[in-house]
Amino acid sequence: MSFLNKLGIGVGAGAGGSRELPRTMGSSARTRTNGPAPVAAVGATRAPEVRESNRVSNGLKEFLWNLDGLGRGTLLDLGPAWQTTLSFFIERGFRVSSEDLLRAWKDFLTEEEGKLREAAGRAAQHTLDVTPSARASRFLEANLQYPNSSFDAILLWDVLDYLEPLVAKQMVANLTELLRPGGVVFAMFHSKKPEGFQRYRVVDSTTLQVISSPVLCPAQRVYQNREIQDLFSRYRTMKSFVGRDQLRESLFIK
Amino acid sequence: MWKKEDVKSQGLPENGPGISANSPATGNVARPASASVPVSSGASACISQGIRIKGEVTGSEDLFVDGHVEGKVNLSNGSLTVGPNGEVKADIFAREVIVRGRVDGKIVGREKIQLWSTGNVAGDLQTERLTIEDGAVLRGRVEIETGKPLDKHAEARGAAAGTSKGGAVSVSSGSAAV
Repeated sequence: MSFLNKLGIGVGAGAGGSRELPRTMGSSARTRTNGPAPVAAVGATRAPEVRESNRVSNGLKEFLWNLDGLGRGTLLDLGPAWQTTLSFFIERGFRVSSEDLLRAWKDFLTEEEGKLREAAGRAAQHTLDVTPSARASRFLEANLQYPNSSFDAILLWDVLDYLEPLVAKQMVANLTELLRPGGVVFAMFHSKKPEGFQRYRVVDSTTLQVISSPVLCPAQRVYQNREIQDLFSRYRTMKSFVGRDQLRESLFIK
Repeated sequence: MWKKEDVKSQGLPENGPGISANSPATGNVARPASASVPVSSGASACISQGIRIKGEVTGSEDLFVDGHVEGKVNLSNGSLTVGPNGEVKADIFAREVIVRGRVDGKIVGREKIQLWSTGNVAGDLQTERLTIEDGAVLRGRVEIETGKPLDKHAEARGAAAGTSKGGAVSVSSGSAAV
């Protein structure tokens, strides 16, 4: 360990490891503050420092290989609407739909909290069913509303790690309905509980940019291989790529 | 003549105002009310914060919305800017659409759509060119009409200042005022 460190070769040079490095040392991890200060950065609140690093993504490469020759396919991106990601797929002829599911989940939780507080104030807690299944149903009724078999591909990113397990399970079932036969899902799973919160965008066909962001919602669960297989049991093929940065990339083909 | 230049420097629209909530129709430029002038608006017409409109807004000039609009917005040749406080629950048809606030509805920006970091859109986007700044929220489908690629390298802010036409150029001064 010490020998490698002396040479400056750290184990886990992916997104997770790069956070530990001082800025001057970040050779593979490009660190920058959010260049043009966003319009939101007004008043007392300062724009949070955004750290970025690139990681080679075999999962993305395989995902694209599976979609090759599809022509004008349809893609559902469940991450934030990044210009680069949308651009990448639109240039390849995809019709892209974007829905930031984790932001929606955070908004949903905030809304639920407000409703609960309101109900408590009126001493009428019974009006809101707070069981996990009821919450899952309410969340999914308000999100992912597309006709069945709408998409050829879905970018799920690491969304499942941050959702309540029951919501995750129901959501995967819903996504399966939205996907056409032969369609592909690209998902990511943390091998251990993530320290921070990251978003991902496509740089090129083999590279993802990992962006550390303010935490939208805490990680809920670390899925083991068996659990992932159970979640996606209706899919005919599953392929995983384990990275050194505690991130597993998985492809599921319906 | 010098008065006219004075008006421009304060970020007031050059053309006569259309729907304007807080700028006078015959601008008394000499009055010292520049502080109350909405410098965030550089468009010809302005629906400012606190104004609520229900129905159809139609026109061919540029429009800045920092208030609340519900119904339909149709600016055949104009540019629509939804300000940071703006909330539009409507389908929008315009030459160019800049979103810094909230839009709930389909947006057709014939030439260009820009989502700024504070922009939040729930609805489909249909345009020739699309610019999305980091932090913008989009929930909907993107249709690029002519097969032209997205503004790959465009920083929305820079693009807003440099490449937009007509009234939209004033957006850069608007952002500075925020």
